[in-house]
Amino acid sequence: MAWQKAASLDELRNRDVIAVDVAGTPVALFRLGDEIRATSGSCTHEFASLADGFVEAEDGSVECPLHQALFDIRTGRALCAPATADLKVYPVKIDGPDILIDLDGVAQPKAPSVVNITDTAKTATPRESLAATPSAASNGGAHSNGGPPLVRDYVWPGDDLSVIPDWVYTDRFVYEREIERIFHGHTWNYVALEAEVPNPGDFIRSNVGPTPVVVARAHDGSVNVFENRCTHRASEFCRELSGSAKEFVCPYHQWTYDLKGNLIGIPFRRGVGGKGGMPPDFDADAHGLRRLAVTSHRGVVFASYAQDMESLADYLGPEVLREFEATFDGRKLKILGYYRHSLPGNWKLYHENLKDPYHATLLHTFLVTFGLMVVGNRSMMLADESGRHGVMASAKSDAKAISGDVKKEMRAFKEGLTLREARFMNFVEEFDSPWSVTMSTIWPNLIVQREMNTLGVRQIVPDGPHEFIMKWTMFGFEGDDEDMTRHRLRQGNLMGPAGFLGLEDNEAIKFVQDGMRHVPDGSHLVKLDPQTPAGTADTLISESAIRAMYKHWREAMAL
Amino acid sequence: MQSPSAVNDRRLEKLLLHREIEDFNNAYAAALDDGRLNDWAEMFTDDAFYVIISRENADRGMPVGLVYCENKGMIHDRAFAVEKTAMFAPRYLRHIIGNTQILGEDDNGDIRARANYVVIQVLFDRPEAKLHQVGVYHDKFRRVGDQLKLAERRCVYDNLLVDNALCLPV
Repeated sequence: MAWQKAASLDELRNRDVIAVDVAGTPVALFRLGDEIRATSGSCTHEFASLADGFVEAEDGSVECPLHQALFDIRTGRALCAPATADLKVYPVKIDGPDILIDLDGVAQPKAPSVVNITDTAKTATPRESLAATPSAASNGGAHSNGGPPLVRDYVWPGDDLSVIPDWVYTDRFVYEREIERIFHGHTWNYVALEAEVPNPGDFIRSNVGPTPVVVARAHDGSVNVFENRCTHRASEFCRELSGSAKEFVCPYHQWTYDLKGNLIGIPFRRGVGGKGGMPPDFDADAHGLRRLAVTSHRGVVFASYAQDMESLADYLGPEVLREFEATFDGRKLKILGYYRHSLPGNWKLYHENLKDPYHATLLHTFLVTFGLMVVGNRSMMLADESGRHGVMASAKSDAKAISGDVKKEMRAFKEGLTLREARFMNFVEEFDSPWSVTMSTIWPNLIVQREMNTLGVRQIVPDGPHEFIMKWTMFGFEGDDEDMTRHRLRQGNLMGPAGFLGLEDNEAIKFVQDGMRHVPDGSHLVKLDPQTPAGTADTLISESAIRAMYKHWREAMAL
Repeated sequence: MQSPSAVNDRRLEKLLLHREIEDFNNAYAAALDDGRLNDWAEMFTDDAFYVIISRENADRGMPVGLVYCENKGMIHDRAFAVEKTAMFAPRYLRHIIGNTQILGEDDNGDIRARANYVVIQVLFDRPEAKLHQVGVYHDKFRRVGDQLKLAERRCVYDNLLVDNALCLPV
C-alpha cells in the first residue's frame, strides 16, 4: 500500500486536530508541537469524531468529546473508560506542502513524524517543521525545487551583527514571537502620561504591543492597566479614546468592571425563575480583566505582562535614566495634543532610525542646514548596557562653522537657505542638559522626543510585520506662558507625520520596508563603525547602536 | 418698510459673496493640485493663521497641529520646505471642496465661512487613489484690495490616523 495525501500542512498550522477522509477511511490528524500524528478518526467507544475532541499536547492525549474516553495519540492506546479498544495509528510523512499517511503501514512509536529539518530533497525520510516554532537550525535554507524553502530557517547570516536578514522585519512568525517574548514578555511598555488621567475615573485607551488596554485612575489614586477585552466574550468594550467613568460596562452583555478591572456585575447571573444563568460555582473574582503590572516615573506610566519586573530605573540603566530625567525634570506636564499615523514598515525600523545618527546628518536638510545635527557637532549615540535602549543627542551649533568638506558630503545641506520666520528654529534653554536635541528609544515601544523645545512621547503600536501605528503625545509644562506654548507649537512643524523631519523619516522607513517585501531571503548592512561592534558610539557615522539592539533582540527572541 | 429692490440687492449680494468664496476655494484647490505652492501661499493675508489639526485635538481644545503657521512667512516657509528640501515619494493630489457655507461677519469685517474638503492622493506604485484626508475648513476671509484672502484657515480632519505622512498642504 502506498502513501496517500491526507491533508496539506497549512490545514494544521493553526489547529491541533483535523478530521480527514483518506480513501474512505476516517482519519484524525494531530499536531503535537512539531509532531504530526495520525490515528483512526473515531472513538472506539461510540464512534464520535476525535477531531471534535480535546487535545492535550503536553501528554499527547485526546479526549473524546462524547464520553471523555482518553487515548494516547502516539500509540493509540485507550487510557480510560469507557473506551477499551485502542485507536489505529498510521505512519506519517511530509512531502512538500502535503501530509501523507500510509493506511497499511506501521507507525514507528519512537520516531516523531516531524522534526526541524527543511531539506526534503536530501533526506530519505522527508521531514519538515511547521515553522510554528522558529529555530536557529544551522543547515542554511536549502531549496528543494528552486523555489523558496517551504519552511524558513531563521539562520542569522554571518557570525556578527553587521548583516541583518530581512525576515527579521517581514516574517509573520517572527512578529508573533515578538509579541509573546518582547511586548508581552519581560519589558516595561509605555502606556500613558499621568497628566492624561489626572482624576479618579479618568481613563484612556492604549496598547501594549498590539494588545488594546485601558489605563484608568481608581478612587484610591492608583493608575491601573488592564486588557480592553471582556472576559465573557472577548469584546473590546471600551471604545472611547479617553473619558471619565465610574465603571466599565461591556456593551454586548453588560458585564461590568470597576476601575481596577475587577468583575463586579453579571446580568442574570442566577438566571430567571430558577432557569439559566451562570454555573453556581462561577467565581467572579477569578474572572476580572487581565491586569498588568504598572509603574510610573516622573509622570510617565508603563505596564508589563511580567509580574516580576525590576524598577524602571533599573530597567533603563543609569545613563538612559539620566536623559529621561533631564526631559521629565519634575515639572508637571501639560498635554498639548496628539499626532496619530500609520506607517507601512516594521516597528523595529522606528527604533533603528533613531539609533542611526548617520541618516540624521544626510537625510534631513532642516537638521543639517540649521546646525541641529551635523558632523562636527558635539553629539552622542548612546546604547545602554543591555543594548535595547538608546539616546541620540546633539548640541546645536552655528551652521556657519561647518567646514566646506563636510558640506560637500551632505547633499542635504542648502547653502543660503533662510526662513522668513527664523524664530521657529530658536532654542530656549530650559533643561539641565548639555544637549539641545535628544531622542531616547526606550525598549520596546517608547520614543522620548526632546527636539529643542518641541517635546513629545511617541508610542509604537505594531500591527503585523509590515505595519505599525504611532501615537505622539505632545506636551509642554504647567507654568509655560502663552509665548512658550506658541513656540513649542511652532517648532512642532519639525515633527509628526507632516513635520519637516518627521515626514521624511516616515517616508524613508516605508522605502526600506518596500525594499524588503519583494526580495526573498534578502539581507542588508549595518557595518558602519566596526571599531565598536555593539554599543555606545563615539562618532555619528556609526551603526553600533543598531547592532546593540539586535544583540539584545536575538537574546530575547532566542533566534 | 424696505423696498423690494433693496431686499433683492441683499440677497444678490449674499449670492455673489457665496459664489466668490466658491471661486476662491476652486482656485485654492487648483493651486495645490498643480503644485503651485507659492501661489497657494499668496492666497493668505500677511497675518494669516493656518493650521491642520485633528478633530481629536480640536474637539478637546488642544492646539497641536500637523502644520502650524502663525503668519504668511511661515506659510511660505512651508511651501519652500516642501518644494526645495523635503524628501518624499512622488504623488498626485486632488482637493475637492464643497458644502460651502457663509456663517457671518466679524466686527472687523472678516467673513466667517466653512466648507467640507477631501484630499485624494495617488502614489505612483499603487493603482488606487486613496482618500488621504477628510475634513472641514473653518475660515475667515478678508477683502484686501479687490481680492479675497484667507485671514484664517483651520483645517480640521476627521480621519484619526494619518496615512504615513502628510507631505503637501491641505
